[in-house]
Amino acid sequence: MNKIEQNNFKLSRIVVTGIGVISAIGNTVAENRTALQEGKCGITALSLLSSKYAGIMPFGEIKIPTEELKKRLNATEPGVTRTSLLALHAFNEAINDSKLNSEEITSFDTALIGASTVGGMCLTDELYNDANKKDGGSEYLSSYDCASVNIYLQERYKMNGLVNTINTACSSSANAIMYGSRLIKSGIAKRAIVGGVDSLAKFTINGFNALHILSSDICTPFDEQRKGLNLGEGAAFLILEKEEDAVGKNIYAVVSGYCNSNDSFHPSSLSDEGDGPYLAMKGALKKADLTADKISFINAHGTATENNDAVESTAMLRLFGSVPAFASTKSNIGHTLAAAGAIEAVYSILNLTHQEIYPSLHYKQPIATTGLVPIQTYQKMPLQHVMSNSFGFAGNCSSLIFSTI
Amino acid sequence: MLYIHQSTCISPQQTFLDININVLHEPVENKLKVIEPTYEDIPPGILRRMAKAVRIGVGAALPIIKEFSRIDGFIIGTSNAGMEDCIKFLNQIIQYEEGILTPSNFVQSTPNALAGQLGLLTKNKNYNITHVHRGLAFENAIVDAMMMLHEHPENNYLLSAVDETSAYNYNIDRLSGCYKNEIITCEKFYQTNSTGSISGESAVAFLVNGDKTNATAQLLAIHTLHTEDEVLIEKQLSYFMEKNLPARQKIDLLISGENGDNRLLKYYTAVENTLEDNITIARFKHMTGEYATASAFAVWFACQILQTQNIPLHSLKKKSSQSNVKNILVYNNYKGSQHSFILIAKEN
Repeated sequence: MNKIEQNNFKLSRIVVTGIGVISAIGNTVAENRTALQEGKCGITALSLLSSKYAGIMPFGEIKIPTEELKKRLNATEPGVTRTSLLALHAFNEAINDSKLNSEEITSFDTALIGASTVGGMCLTDELYNDANKKDGGSEYLSSYDCASVNIYLQERYKMNGLVNTINTACSSSANAIMYGSRLIKSGIAKRAIVGGVDSLAKFTINGFNALHILSSDICTPFDEQRKGLNLGEGAAFLILEKEEDAVGKNIYAVVSGYCNSNDSFHPSSLSDEGDGPYLAMKGALKKADLTADKISFINAHGTATENNDAVESTAMLRLFGSVPAFASTKSNIGHTLAAAGAIEAVYSILNLTHQEIYPSLHYKQPIATTGLVPIQTYQKMPLQHVMSNSFGFAGNCSSLIFSTI
Repeated sequence: MLYIHQSTCISPQQTFLDININVLHEPVENKLKVIEPTYEDIPPGILRRMAKAVRIGVGAALPIIKEFSRIDGFIIGTSNAGMEDCIKFLNQIIQYEEGILTPSNFVQSTPNALAGQLGLLTKNKNYNITHVHRGLAFENAIVDAMMMLHEHPENNYLLSAVDETSAYNYNIDRLSGCYKNEIITCEKFYQTNSTGSISGESAVAFLVNGDKTNATAQLLAIHTLHTEDEVLIEKQLSYFMEKNLPARQKIDLLISGENGDNRLLKYYTAVENTLEDNITIARFKHMTGEYATASAFAVWFACQILQTQNIPLHSLKKKSSQSNVKNILVYNNYKGSQHSFILIAKEN
């Protein structure tokens, strides 16, 4: 029941009891961790998606054909899109990792909060035909919107709890994690399965290209000579529960802080001062009741666009003065849009769990105006609080903080 | 729980500023399209670039923004937002074979463009979110607003919903059997006994906070579910009412999302059968058509009825002997699988 229970408010810590991820550097959490440790880059020429830009730009493509994903996942229902399949892949890993049984998954107090910006629009040609009434209609008529992904997961697992889809562009799944945490804190849900997904699509490739923010080379976050971002695809899900409900379970981390703030400057770029990023990071610290010096590492948004990396650097300098160790895993997997917040949340949790940080790749020289240098080698490091940033179009900025238990 | 202080609505009927919902505006070729205002407060340069969903969304929100200088966040529900611009951009991709494209359709097509535009126009750096869960997008926005007000009882939020009918999503939904083949009028809307409904759209905005003083209405509770089983809906509704309706009170009015699609009638009948006999039932989709955030219009309609105690005759399905309306249940479903109950009461 969606009624806020007074007595449950603010008392419990929200913990992560399961994680799942698929990206261009691995199909599982373990594969992703190994690749991050080794500094592997999954940004390559397209081999599956057909696009005019296939030979011109590299992408963080997952090299499993859609038909193969369908077989592996036993997802042969009509109308299932690549986006839904990637989501299902990560969702399965997360629920198995948390050992959720079917009773728990179908319980009325288990919420599913997913994020997507592409949804079924990965099927550009089918959507074009259906929208322009070219023929009798494809099998995908109900699969184009962002919600189709979570409705597929809900139907497949016969979930009865609250289901939601969030789209705040590139910060979507950071907001899904925040929303899921709040649902549990408010008593509306006992546990929440939260995450995000996007697959590569001609729609987003051409959209970002029209905005001149795609790089024809492999992206170089926080480098003075950066030329733009590489789009990627992937999915990640996390299982959130109250600490007292997770007794006896493997607890990865605490969701200790989160904040959503708007830059209110421009529909597709951030302000020079970086008010949105600054306020999101500051608000997350406040929520976690931490001072800035307690953050040991930042998984930066770090898209490698001219605008983002300069603004994010400025905002980090404003807030931290002396900026903690930071890196951008977009140099490994590209920008996975609505999946980015959740994938990077999983990476932040891996940082905490293994007390290690992963290198930012392809960096050469600091941005002249800010001088910040990202971490460039794999290293062990004592970590208690890790911040993860996600900033998107329409000024939507969100920051999360994960902490050791 | 939250209090509604202001509500505005741009819809296919005369619902904006000078409100008159006793006279009906008819659908054209089974499409009910919004009556757009002149948008005098939006700078022309910005207005020209706005997608229709963004335009009507901003238009509905502006009277509230002007009156309440302190808004602590924008919480938006929309299934698709700028569908027109989305497919325009897609058509460019195909027609120009991924050539040199202009980004404005792409930027305007993202569902969070409305929330972003509202933040931008008001220089508001607070909470800003867009829920896009198809037929429960607005419902999730309500849940979000309720949680925000629980966390920050002193705050004001703009809660809003928008969806547009474009030629493109009309085609997609028509191909999947959502619309009637025969042309129908408002009067015959519920009498066809055929599949499908007609398409619709609206932009609705509410100022919500935790202050009961001078509130229009109190939104007591909301529940959402995904099912195609009407028995489960009956059970969930009984539990919802038992849990949320104050002791010794009853529902005076059911606002039903009945949409003329004979495949979905069983759900509305199940809900009617679960409630007491002596209640008034009003319908609204002959005024709006069917779309994913039609429930936002229903909540606006509930606020109107609570304020005026007038239920337009054309919307009445059944009239109870008792005329005073205090407690309203909104039941809506979208495409037979996404259902919501919203309980609204007059604040007294």
